[in-house]
Amino acid sequence: MTEVKDAAARDAAKKLETYEWGFSSDIEQDFAPKGLSEETVRFISAKKNEPQWMLDWRLKAFALWQTMESPDWAKLDIAPIDYQDAYYYAAPKPRKELASLDEVDPEILRVYEKLGIPIAEQEVLAGVAGSRKVAVDAVFDSVSVATTFRKELEEAGVIFRSISEAVREFPDLVRKYLGKVVPMHDNYFATLNCAVFSDGTFVYIPEGVRCPMELSTYFRINAENTGQFERTLIVADKGSYVSYLEGCTAPMRDENQLHAAVVELVALDDAEIKYSTVQNWYPGDADGKGGIYNFVTKRALCQGRNSKVSWTQVETGSAITWKYPSCVLSGENSVGEFYSVAVTNNRQQADTGTKMIHLGKGSRSTIVSKGISAGRSNNTYRGLVRVAANAEGVRNFTQCDSLLLGSECGAHTVPYIEVKNPSATIEHEATTSKISDDQLFYAMQRGLGQEEAVALIVNGFAKEVLQQLPMEFAVEAQKLLGISLEGSVG
Amino acid sequence: MLQITNLSNTVADKPILKGLSLTIQPGEIHAIMGPNGAGKSTLAYTLGGRPGYEVTGGTVTFQSNSVRPELVEGLSFSGDKREEKDGASTGSARTDVGAIDLLALDPHERAAAGLFLGFQYPVEIPGVSNLQFLRESLNSQRKARGEAPLSGGEFIKLAKEKAALLGMDMDMLKRPVNVGFSGGEKKRNEMVQMGILDPKLAILDETDSGLDIDALRIVGAGINAIMRKPDKAVLLITHYQRLLDYVKPDFVHVLAGGRIVKSGGPELALELEREGYAEVVAA
Amino acid sequence: MNALALPTRRDEAWRYSDLDALATAWPAAAPELIIVRAGDSAAHVLLQDAPDDAVAIRDYRVEIAAGGSCGFHVLNIGGKLGRVTISVTLGEGAHFALHGAIIGGCEQTLEIVTTVHHAAPGATSEQVVRSVLAGRATGNYLGKIAVARDAQKTDASQSVKAMLLDRTATANAKPELEIYADDVKCAHGATVGELDKSALFYMASRGLDPATAQTLLLRAFVAGVFDGIADDAKRERFEAAALAKLEALA
Repeated sequence: MTEVKDAAARDAAKKLETYEWGFSSDIEQDFAPKGLSEETVRFISAKKNEPQWMLDWRLKAFALWQTMESPDWAKLDIAPIDYQDAYYYAAPKPRKELASLDEVDPEILRVYEKLGIPIAEQEVLAGVAGSRKVAVDAVFDSVSVATTFRKELEEAGVIFRSISEAVREFPDLVRKYLGKVVPMHDNYFATLNCAVFSDGTFVYIPEGVRCPMELSTYFRINAENTGQFERTLIVADKGSYVSYLEGCTAPMRDENQLHAAVVELVALDDAEIKYSTVQNWYPGDADGKGGIYNFVTKRALCQGRNSKVSWTQVETGSAITWKYPSCVLSGENSVGEFYSVAVTNNRQQADTGTKMIHLGKGSRSTIVSKGISAGRSNNTYRGLVRVAANAEGVRNFTQCDSLLLGSECGAHTVPYIEVKNPSATIEHEATTSKISDDQLFYAMQRGLGQEEAVALIVNGFAKEVLQQLPMEFAVEAQKLLGISLEGSVG
Repeated sequence: MLQITNLSNTVADKPILKGLSLTIQPGEIHAIMGPNGAGKSTLAYTLGGRPGYEVTGGTVTFQSNSVRPELVEGLSFSGDKREEKDGASTGSARTDVGAIDLLALDPHERAAAGLFLGFQYPVEIPGVSNLQFLRESLNSQRKARGEAPLSGGEFIKLAKEKAALLGMDMDMLKRPVNVGFSGGEKKRNEMVQMGILDPKLAILDETDSGLDIDALRIVGAGINAIMRKPDKAVLLITHYQRLLDYVKPDFVHVLAGGRIVKSGGPELALELEREGYAEVVAA
Repeated sequence: MNALALPTRRDEAWRYSDLDALATAWPAAAPELIIVRAGDSAAHVLLQDAPDDAVAIRDYRVEIAAGGSCGFHVLNIGGKLGRVTISVTLGEGAHFALHGAIIGGCEQTLEIVTTVHHAAPGATSEQVVRSVLAGRATGNYLGKIAVARDAQKTDASQSVKAMLLDRTATANAKPELEIYADDVKCAHGATVGELDKSALFYMASRGLDPATAQTLLLRAFVAGVFDGIADDAKRERFEAAALAKLEALA
């Protein structure tokens, strides 16, 4: 059955060829039984050789989830999700322990190649001397298959593991922070993730350590009808620094797939975490068929004095995106940043933004959101800035800009500003604009094709955010903006 | 008039003034010069009582009713309005307040006591006209001193006179306080305000910065006209000698590292201009 | 949905309201309808100064036909809960302007909730709201600008500023844009802050006592909101009421 669908998907991909990364690989899969029950949860836990506390935690979450109701959001039009009609665990069949990258399934490496993993990383993977180091913890469907540079990281004291490994190897650390930032009962999809999370990444940067390289994970949804439930936990101890890159691509599918990840970040005194995302999962076809449901809960706890978390996201994929990477700024003088570019085209729906919860004195936050709507899509910025009564001297600056391409799309801005302390300084600005005919004509008169001209102008519009991305991502992100908007003008 | 003894303070927990002492007698003009970061503006703000400028030690005594007898033409030395030269008050024509602890007062009380602070960066207040601002300020001061408020007509007359003295258009006085003013206009406006409020002691923080030569001359003449009187005193804070060509100081002090490190006559300013602070401070 | 059902926090338009107070006055009266015919212009003023313990719900539906214009001035200062709702629909080339001020103290919850539908091309709207909140008061502005698919050349602006005088007061703002046309100019700005400390010190250094300085700054903050009231007597009444309320807060 699966193979038949796979073949059909491949055919479709060949025919359409509009989704550059729409292909499917033939690696043998190891599926959990279809559907969701307590048995599924036990199966996943057993497959991962988890300790009892982890299984108990999952079961508690599952019981809770069964009592919850699926949320309905104002501006999202969601087809009901059949949670029984999906596989919750798919892993490549275990092979012997890998000594080096050469031993990675060549099929997987080929997949990465097709994915267009940034040149810098391909060089790293190929062992080219002098290339910038990026450690890749690759998540292929649900299980981490290759981790590079583990040794160098270990020398620095950095723990960079799949979360399954971390549960077994560093249970105390994981238990201390897991679910601390995003509690089990936080929301419907977060609770579901707690019960059935398949894999993900755990990072711990010890006190005073500046992580010697950018950490990177590629998530890729490969198996058909496999809900993807990553779990990421990054803890930056006092005075440490880490930059983490998350990139995603998924092959073409006809059926909607659910992605309900949970990302938790904890920054202690003087620590800084920079978390960058490029999300270009399959958005569905021009009629809105297929595509990923991206319901992710991302939250950072800036617990320590002077701690800082910076979220940067470039969201071009998924049929529906619902995500609000947030910062709980409880540390004195802590800093939260959110830089976002969200592109929607065709029938895509995006409702994304952030929450900056100011609890600590002198905490500051900056929000820069650039929404680009094309086709018949809807793009919503939804953001909350809250200042608690005891948080003296809080500052927030928010800038939300929307760009509309064509008259069939929608661009929405929904800011919530809630202030209980008089010493706060909150500034919010929003603008809406389109690419003017003059701009387009000017660029084209200078020799640019229409789509190039649009890409150029859009990149200019989003520049403030793109600048925040690490080099490896910036180039890819710029290309993505152009590709995502192909066919949207003219 | 003003006696600063061993004044120390901190700004955002950082010590700036470190045991500064300075005495200003009525009828005197003092200039304080010094390198950037020496604490010159901090001294001005601390005397003005700006929140955040935490006094950690020392005293500041202010006596608004003191007068320097030998400068007063025709003043009878036998009258009961005679002042002790060292500052101990025996009363005055204007008020019966004696020496006061300046640091114990709120900023507006210091102003009512006769202290004027000329800001290096005058603050913009959108929506509040200069005239309204000054009239309310002046009457608030007068009320604190037990004087009757000025009527609208009286106030306009006074404002016109002082604006003319500084060559300022009345239209500027109708505009919101400092909003849209150029740097030079703001400084001139400060002097108009000083003229209207008629303080006993003016602390002028870099009033010369942002002024061209013509404006400098006008402002200098304004300071002389308003403040060069036997019962008034001026503390000029400046980087450069040039203002001192127009407002001749009786004393020049060098402020460095939060203290007065050298004092002298007007010739010290010229020496500083010639040699630079580093040389003079080191000597 | 039952139109008479008491709203809950989940209703976006009521998320910051005082629902306990509301329950005592529910259901609210039907909205007052204001119709501005094509090419006409209208001016409305509302001085909401209900007694301290009252619940005042004032609901307006404004329909402005092509080329018409309507100016609305609101001073919302009265009641335990004082809520002013204005839902506006703009025809082609129509114009709507709201100038509102909220001044609250004690336990008051004062709200201005607007929805401006730009239903046809070329319409313009402008909203200016200033809030001053002291004591345990809550001031809310929820303003939605909805631009329909064909409403090209829409020009809509919202300017929201709130001033908190006490750390027990709350300001909430939700200036929302819902836009379905690409050739539009929509901008909103919102700020929350306290009185400018350097201005307060500057004023004190000129001898102004703190209470006078505060009132002067607050007057300047809400000044201009009522400038557009053409009728001198009405304007003076609004200004006097605003000033009296501000002085009561100082």
